[in-house]
Amino acid sequence: MQMVFPAWFGVLLSTSLLVGGGATSLRDHPMVPSFERFFTERGADLVAGGRLLLAELNCVACHKSEDQSLKSKAAPVLTDVGGRVKRSYLRQFLADPQGVKNGTTMPDLLAGLPPAERAEKVEALFHFLASTGTPRTERPERKWIGAGRDLYHQVGCLACHETRDAAGNIAAVLPTSVPIATSKYTLGSLRAFLENPLAVRPSGRMPGLLNSKEAQQVANYLLQGEALGAPAYNMSYAYYEGEWDKLPDFARLKPKATGQTADFDLSVARRSHNMALKFDGFLKIAKEGQYKFWLTSDDGSKLWIGGKLVVNNDGVHAPTTVTGAVFLSKGMHPLTAAVFNAGGGVELAIDIQGQGLGRQSVAPFVYLSDQGETVRPATAKHDGESLEIQPALAAKGREYFATLGCANCHELKENGKTIASKLMAQPLGKLAPAGGCLAEAVKSGLPKYPLSAAQRAALQSAVRGPAAAASDAKSAIARSLLTFNCYACHERDKVGGPEEARNKSFTTAQPEMGDEARIPPSLNGVGAKLRPEYLRKILHQGAHDRPYMHTRMPGFGEANVGHLVRLFVDVDHLEPAPKVVFEESPAKVKAAGRHLVGAQAFACYKCHTFNGQKAEGVQGIDMTLMPVRLQRDWFIHYVLDPNRFRPGTRMPTAWPKGEVTLPNILGGKAINQIEGIWLYLSDGPKAQIPVGMKPSAILLQPIGEAIIYRAFIQGAGPRGIGVGFPERVNLAFDANNLSLAMIWQGAFIDASRHWTGRGEGFEPPLGDNILHLPQGVNFAVLAKPDDPWPAKSARELGYRFRGYKLTPDQRPTFLYEVHGVRVADTPNGIAGKEAPIIRRALELEGAADNLYFRAAVGDTIEALGDGWYRVGEWKMRLAVDGEPRLRSAGGRWELLVPVRFESGRARIVQEYHW
Amino acid sequence: MRTCIISTIILATSSVVAAQSAKTPSEEDYYKLVRYELPPGAVMECGGLDFLPGGRLAVGTRRGEIWIVDNALAADPKQAKFSRFAHGLHEVLGVAYHKDGWLYVTQRGELTRLKDTDGDGKADLFETVSDGWEINGDYHEYALGSRFDKDGNIWITLCLTGSFTSNSKFRGWGGKVTPEGKWVPTTSGVRSPGGVGFNADGDVFYTDNQGPWNGTCGLKHLVNGGFVGHPDSFKWYAEANKLNPTLGPAPAKPMSNSRMMIEAKRIPQLVPTAVMFPYGKMGQSAAGIDCDLSGGRFGPFAKQLFVGDQTHSTIMRVFLEKVHGRYQGACFPFRQGFSCGIVPVCFAPDGSLFAGGTNRGWGSRGTKPYSLERLVWTGKVPFEVHEMRAKHDGFEVTFTRELDLATAADPKSYKLQTYTYIYRADYGSPEVDATTPTIAGVEVGADRKSVRLRIQRVQEGHIHELHLPGVRSVDGQGLLHKEAYYTMNYVPAP
Repeated sequence: MQMVFPAWFGVLLSTSLLVGGGATSLRDHPMVPSFERFFTERGADLVAGGRLLLAELNCVACHKSEDQSLKSKAAPVLTDVGGRVKRSYLRQFLADPQGVKNGTTMPDLLAGLPPAERAEKVEALFHFLASTGTPRTERPERKWIGAGRDLYHQVGCLACHETRDAAGNIAAVLPTSVPIATSKYTLGSLRAFLENPLAVRPSGRMPGLLNSKEAQQVANYLLQGEALGAPAYNMSYAYYEGEWDKLPDFARLKPKATGQTADFDLSVARRSHNMALKFDGFLKIAKEGQYKFWLTSDDGSKLWIGGKLVVNNDGVHAPTTVTGAVFLSKGMHPLTAAVFNAGGGVELAIDIQGQGLGRQSVAPFVYLSDQGETVRPATAKHDGESLEIQPALAAKGREYFATLGCANCHELKENGKTIASKLMAQPLGKLAPAGGCLAEAVKSGLPKYPLSAAQRAALQSAVRGPAAAASDAKSAIARSLLTFNCYACHERDKVGGPEEARNKSFTTAQPEMGDEARIPPSLNGVGAKLRPEYLRKILHQGAHDRPYMHTRMPGFGEANVGHLVRLFVDVDHLEPAPKVVFEESPAKVKAAGRHLVGAQAFACYKCHTFNGQKAEGVQGIDMTLMPVRLQRDWFIHYVLDPNRFRPGTRMPTAWPKGEVTLPNILGGKAINQIEGIWLYLSDGPKAQIPVGMKPSAILLQPIGEAIIYRAFIQGAGPRGIGVGFPERVNLAFDANNLSLAMIWQGAFIDASRHWTGRGEGFEPPLGDNILHLPQGVNFAVLAKPDDPWPAKSARELGYRFRGYKLTPDQRPTFLYEVHGVRVADTPNGIAGKEAPIIRRALELEGAADNLYFRAAVGDTIEALGDGWYRVGEWKMRLAVDGEPRLRSAGGRWELLVPVRFESGRARIVQEYHW
Repeated sequence: MRTCIISTIILATSSVVAAQSAKTPSEEDYYKLVRYELPPGAVMECGGLDFLPGGRLAVGTRRGEIWIVDNALAADPKQAKFSRFAHGLHEVLGVAYHKDGWLYVTQRGELTRLKDTDGDGKADLFETVSDGWEINGDYHEYALGSRFDKDGNIWITLCLTGSFTSNSKFRGWGGKVTPEGKWVPTTSGVRSPGGVGFNADGDVFYTDNQGPWNGTCGLKHLVNGGFVGHPDSFKWYAEANKLNPTLGPAPAKPMSNSRMMIEAKRIPQLVPTAVMFPYGKMGQSAAGIDCDLSGGRFGPFAKQLFVGDQTHSTIMRVFLEKVHGRYQGACFPFRQGFSCGIVPVCFAPDGSLFAGGTNRGWGSRGTKPYSLERLVWTGKVPFEVHEMRAKHDGFEVTFTRELDLATAADPKSYKLQTYTYIYRADYGSPEVDATTPTIAGVEVGADRKSVRLRIQRVQEGHIHELHLPGVRSVDGQGLLHKEAYYTMNYVPAP
């Protein structure tokens, strides 16, 4: 979608480029974002800008006016403020509002008073306000910080506020950034405010955007610097990014970030999806003996102690706990814990129990080095929040609250009764434009607003200007869009839409949908698009109907924005779509509608979710939500020609230029077909899922001949070659590594993952008794017999895959080349006595000195005689010319077969019985 | 004040259009669509097509099968006989018949050649010809292969890992596998290819799709040493130079939020997109390419390129010329109404055009999940724009039939607008920098089959969208397709 910016936009952009480090100077005056954006340039409508300020600075709270269009922004409700705002902040803020919170709209009511008098009043007001409650401080929970950071930067906070760094500190301020006074809040009060901002700020300028848990997360992110005894760094971490369905091999990866941290802190991750974290430290064991460990994670995790895997909780899963036990001697033991997360929530918790320790977190027993070190992070501020309220002072403060003007703007109820103001100023209509609060030098005793020159000029024009604003609906809409800063996200009538400098902050889960996936929709014609009751609902309580768009529609409160529904409906019109009279019964019409969105027709479900069921490709807006949100006429016009409403949209029409491609359905008329879809969808959650949407299993069953399946196979890599034999035994060969990767019995594989939708991810075997064979190459040249088996891949070693040949019943012989030797590798399925087996015949041609075949790797390998071996739980038989050699390697056992060539040929036969 | 949204009333006319008035010529009058009934149980999600001797068609599928269609060229499609030649391959997106009897197929991870050595009608030898690139398990890492070029190479374009990045070796590159089986990466900057093919001179082209660094879909020339737009592929230059030392160092990185022709002036390796397909107007997912070398058996468009579109289920037509040593040209609507999203297209030896479809994972206007269809020229010449050549001050437009002088010479018969796309790291782009040049003069050529349009003025780097609603043929017919889109990367010298 193309945003159209007014002519003054370029000027604004050039100012914003100057921002850089000098952040706060941009906010040395009250911040009203719409004013900064639309009324600060030469040629701006000063009267309109001034009227906006009259409302946003709440001038009419003191200067009465009959003009209803000056609906004011109320100041925060101060009932129980003492329980919400930190005392340290309260005192400082009263003393110097603009100095403490740059950009605040609160004036300095004590400006110009002699210092002693000023101090006395501040202290009295402070005691009074503090007497209304006691703030409770809490320590931030690090586990919420990462999620809070993502929310803050994604869901829409940045439409009005500044970007922040990982520590929650301001990163960049724009001229239109509304300040956040983070030092004002306790964790609990910020959380409560974010969950329901309208309770304290009823005028909806700060709309509600977060649910309770999200408010908790964002509050923890913003207040993470609260140093109420932050834990010492006791471990190092390495952070990785990538797409995995199990823990990666960290030795092969380069971390994106490393450092020190405390207590398995997941917030060191830069994002919470497609990432992995590895923590390393030393576990201090005071008493020798057996210890049990609980490893809880989402997704997979592992815990190693002393280099040994103690708990394996790998794979993609919801929070799951797995336990393990290990015998530990007294002293320091290297401890490594790793977790990865593909998507969704991320979690890691590790508990220890044993030798007198009850089950508890292992973190306090972990140290940075085997010397038992920790490092204290460089944060240690404390806010002396303790205060003894002096009743006499508080009573005086209460009096000041009524007489100085505080009560004009702030509601403060005591025992259900609002404190009334005893201060009244001249009515608005009688003000002199250049006097009073608007004078260059404000007289002592009057409120001092540190207005910018542009603000002062605008206010003066408004005070001088016409008595009332234009009363038509279109102007009223534009005024409301300014007041609530809707223009920060939305464009209407070529005004607004994201500012260029903020544009990048609007993000999407589906970049391949382009801008329409990340920029909130235009409001042009919205009154003819959304059903009025739905419009009312989302204005009131917000919405997140577009699953691909990170930015949400916040809730502004019915009392603040309910009037917009009527205005939009009055102003926006769309030509009606023709009425449709069907010959078919309603049930038949709906069935036809269902057919049209299904697999045999337009397959709308490929890009739209349906009643929560995921789509195949992009996840477009839910189809069952459409009749709830949309007006019928708009829906019909839109699906006929989406580009008319959303230029450049990826949504194609199924009726190009109105032509019908399925003439046999619903009379072959476009309008009838669309109406049919509309009626079908109108059944909402009761509508049957479109035909073909739910993928069903595609079982590949080898009958009479083998089946080959080349795909991303879990356990055999992206170039896996699965083979299912009619004997109900199967294998997967890894064509990247030229190795037999795994064998299993029973069912072969379910191809639906790769043969429906786009085919994402790796598919594991479908059958049972899966035997994973040694990872790494099967053949290697060892210059000396004790050289370790190479860890390099076949490609790195220069081995070449040559393909395969098939018997008439499709059984493969894999062909490859290692060190110039041509290998024909035929692993075949054989019906066995108890269970089917794999017999693998390897024919080699050529010559290479010191070439070995690694027949097995296991924790235990035992020669049973006559070519039989027991490898851990399973058995194997070898028929070879050379003498197999058993050797230990890295705590495990390897069975190596030296390849003996006779007249340039060698043969190895290996049978797997398992 | 009331705002009323104005629109053309489509609804009232839709049923009329569906009924097809007898007088208005339709695409079907000139190019007949022949649909093949596929054998029951065969899921023929087409990824590659080529012809074997004897009019036999080989079809490669996304489910990894190769089907052979005997009697594919019979007048009655029911005569076609399907048999499965191979299975178990990894998402075949390229099929090429070699004169020695091998069938070359491009799989995700390798180029493989297949042979039936025992004559039982099924391939039994699958030889890996080259696996010089890598895959990591991301579904987006497709490999699309061509048929053979005049030197016996197969050209392969390697889709990025996802939309934005190259995480496996040579992802985002195009290159060739030589007759000796050597993989030679030639061109960086590929994003998400839809097909690879050749023009009449044997030069290599591929289609790329709207996305990062691609404001819209386009037809791009694959040149050795070239860079075609998406810079994440630069990370493989060191590896690529080992296989192709002529490449040299990686180009300068393009600036995001620029324009392609601005960057092309700065980055000598950047080969501008030869023909852009304006998004939504000329398809939404450009795919397979083939060139009409039938010598007139497919109608009047000899040597032009025909390009499938997956989303719109259409085939578009492309005219190319060289200006300042680079290919550029025009695209035109050609034929809609295919049953499914078109991926491979392939000219048959008899001059008909085969098109294979799939809409798995990406929806298409065509409603079938997969399809095999054939487009046959009926012998009637449609009234169409034939060619569109850039001139320093406008265009020379030729037509397939003789013109009505009055309408053809009237500037009001034409409408012209220009625009371009932002060249940027973000996904896609709106149309920007729009201009509406005036048509200062129209001269009809002496042959009465061409016009010379002089316009004020030509916009370098812009698509020139020309509508010809008023132009009539000598017998009073309007154009079958009234739009043409010329990508003016370079303005010819006077």
